[in-house]
Amino acid sequence: MMIDVSRPEDPADGLAAVLALRRVAEQLEAAEVERAMRAGWSWPEVAEALGVTRQAVHKKHAKRLIAAGVELRRR
Amino acid sequence: MFERFTKAARETVTEASLIARDMGAMTIEAEHLLLAVTNSPSPAAGVLHDAGLDDDGLRAALAAETARSLAAVGVGVEGLPFSPFVNTPRFGQSAKLALERALKVALARNDRHIGSTHLTLAVLQPSVGTVPRALDGAGVDRARLISALSA
Repeated sequence: MMIDVSRPEDPADGLAAVLALRRVAEQLEAAEVERAMRAGWSWPEVAEALGVTRQAVHKKHAKRLIAAGVELRRR
Repeated sequence: MFERFTKAARETVTEASLIARDMGAMTIEAEHLLLAVTNSPSPAAGVLHDAGLDDDGLRAALAAETARSLAAVGVGVEGLPFSPFVNTPRFGQSAKLALERALKVALARNDRHIGSTHLTLAVLQPSVGTVPRALDGAGVDRARLISALSA
């Protein structure tokens, strides 16, 4: 992944880029939270690294990780 | 909100939420509604297929739009692996607007119920946003699609 944010000439392209970045950010979060939890990180650690509450990250990701059979640390 | 939707259109909306969820989207957007329509047994799906917008074609057009939009700001991303979400996403603004527009399309045509064709016309209406950009990029003539669906 290469990041070097520049400004496109047309604002339509710039605005579409904002949307695309949001979509990609969500997918990147899903992938990286999963990778961290598989590597044995705790919920509080992942939450602090993401700058959100433990409840928020747990609510968003716990069910899918449990469904995927990821072994989660309790604390 | 969905009282006037046909059973088929309601099922399409439900399917859109599952498609959004499987794509890792936090919100159901207009593109998910269009993907659900093209995967539904409806006349609107046939019109979309004739324009090359079957499931594969539409997903490819959407992926190309994302890649193009990211490239415009110098970002490149390749497939990010993650286990699917299980929570149902909420409606995002583009899908809410599409549902409102579908009602207006039906009213303008004096139709009592909102079906897949109204929903599709509503999604195809705006000239800005992810769907029109994806279709333009794929060389799909939106105006022709709209007239084919209005016939």
